[in-house]
Amino acid sequence: MMAEARREASTTRPWAIIAAHELRGLWLSAKGLTVLLGYTVLLSLMTYLAATSSELNLLDARESIGVIVQIAIGLGTLAALVVSADAISGERERDTLESLLLTPVPRRDLVIGKMIAASSMWLAGTVVALPYVAAMAQGPAITADAVLVLLTVGPLVGAALTALGMAFSAVSMSNRVSLAGAIVALLVLAAPSQLPAISSQGALAAILVTVNPVSAGLKLASNVLVAQQSWSSQWTYLISPLVAATALTVLAVRMSGRVRLGGSR
Amino acid sequence: MPSVRTDYPQDGLSEPAVVCEDLEVSYGEKRAVEGVSFTVERGEVFGLLGPNGAGKTSVVRALTTILDPSAGSARVGGHSLTDPDAVRSVIGVLPESNGYPGSVTAVDYLMYFGRLYGLTKEAAGERAASLLSEVGLASVGRQMIKTFSRGMRQRLGIARSLVNRPQVLFLDEPTLGLDPAGREDVLAQLDTIASNDGTSVVLCSHILEDVERVCDRIAILNKGKIVSTGTVASVTSQVSSNSLVAVAVDPSDTDRAIAALAEADGFAGRVTSIPGVIEVVNSHQSGAINGLLAVLTQADVSILAVQPHNSRLSDAFISLTREEGPSNDG
Repeated sequence: MMAEARREASTTRPWAIIAAHELRGLWLSAKGLTVLLGYTVLLSLMTYLAATSSELNLLDARESIGVIVQIAIGLGTLAALVVSADAISGERERDTLESLLLTPVPRRDLVIGKMIAASSMWLAGTVVALPYVAAMAQGPAITADAVLVLLTVGPLVGAALTALGMAFSAVSMSNRVSLAGAIVALLVLAAPSQLPAISSQGALAAILVTVNPVSAGLKLASNVLVAQQSWSSQWTYLISPLVAATALTVLAVRMSGRVRLGGSR
Repeated sequence: MPSVRTDYPQDGLSEPAVVCEDLEVSYGEKRAVEGVSFTVERGEVFGLLGPNGAGKTSVVRALTTILDPSAGSARVGGHSLTDPDAVRSVIGVLPESNGYPGSVTAVDYLMYFGRLYGLTKEAAGERAASLLSEVGLASVGRQMIKTFSRGMRQRLGIARSLVNRPQVLFLDEPTLGLDPAGREDVLAQLDTIASNDGTSVVLCSHILEDVERVCDRIAILNKGKIVSTGTVASVTSQVSSNSLVAVAVDPSDTDRAIAALAEADGFAGRVTSIPGVIEVVNSHQSGAINGLLAVLTQADVSILAVQPHNSRLSDAFISLTREEGPSNDG
């Protein structure tokens, strides 16, 4: 009996089992591929517009590649945010959460596993964006810079917002509330980068841009790719994405203790 | 009806499978369950009955660690609810509202849960195949769950609840919405689980025929409180002591019969719409029919037929949940 139990006992961590299951569910079903298709169509459209604008001299080549990288980061992050915001509240709405909560799997592992699967969205988005960036970039130096921005800012901002979506999903009783809350949070974070007057003027504005992980990441992309600033002068813009990714991941894991089926306790 | 097992050679445990003491569940200010106490012996099928909103699902959710009780205590499978991980490892649950991922095969679904209970991939695969065979879904194991009928999903849910070979199985309305054949399959499965595996089963159901068929003991909940508990027979007898007896007499003797019953101790009769047929309420615990016959014979009433009204669980259920009746632990 004991020998049989030992033979049957798995040493794989529950979060790894959940992550593998969620990844299969995301990418072997229509969900992940549909989101990625939407991402690709939008990125293609924006790349076409940037390329034609460049040909018409409305944007120079560096501005074009800067726009594409920023859009790739923004869309990849949005896709991951949508998937993570649905991860737990969606299960709750589909009546599949109770079965999971009834297993002896720690809630922390449930959240971590689902967060890893949701993170694959921005990873896939980054992979899809690489050929676009390579096609738009003119010359090896700018290509290297663009890929580097995509591979440093993208994962940090993506991880931060995936964790934010997961935290919303853990505590929201409704999927709509979770998705709406997460998207509003993204818009609030992304808004400063879309307001040139705020983002470029004054010390306070500069601080706001620097502490906001989304605007800081996009500012770095703009400064390195468009303004041709050196990485050594821009690394401070990576601090807030790094801090946000760490802090929000910790927050999401801590929120796992509040994952409930619904109703009061 | 399966007998209650009392020998447990495998683990030697003597503690009942479920011990629930003064359990209370509140949703904010609203108290859904209050002072609920019962025990479920090992290998026993225990029915938890009650009308909608009586608190059955709240009790099950508290005992399965989904809800924290606001007061009281319980031990499930030898573990206190204060150790939820330990409780979850020894229980299986088929919740009332149970969703399934559509784009997953039955085998993958069961393997996933097997792995969440700590089985290796190989062991989970073997367990999935064995369970699918037990619930009669082996031939459709590789089909997507979205192609399954409601009955098949219910059987898959039962298979999932058995993945960890639970000591205590909670089934919340397992036959709800099933056709007669599907219902029969689920009940047969339940019989097998309790009698062969020694698993204790807590069955919540509205379908009293199912409860009468498979449960060793029951508790009837009403407005969050247990109004009766015991064997089906003992709960049923609570209302049978006041049950009806239909007596057919010569129509010309009807008035005399009513008058005689009114004077007799423990009987009350009333005329029905059928000429000569009287419904008699008797409050005698035993010998009621003999006493009734004696009263009517002494009054020189010609008795043509006597039809005792056999009390059923449904009568007890309706009686006890319409107006809160006495508790009787049997």
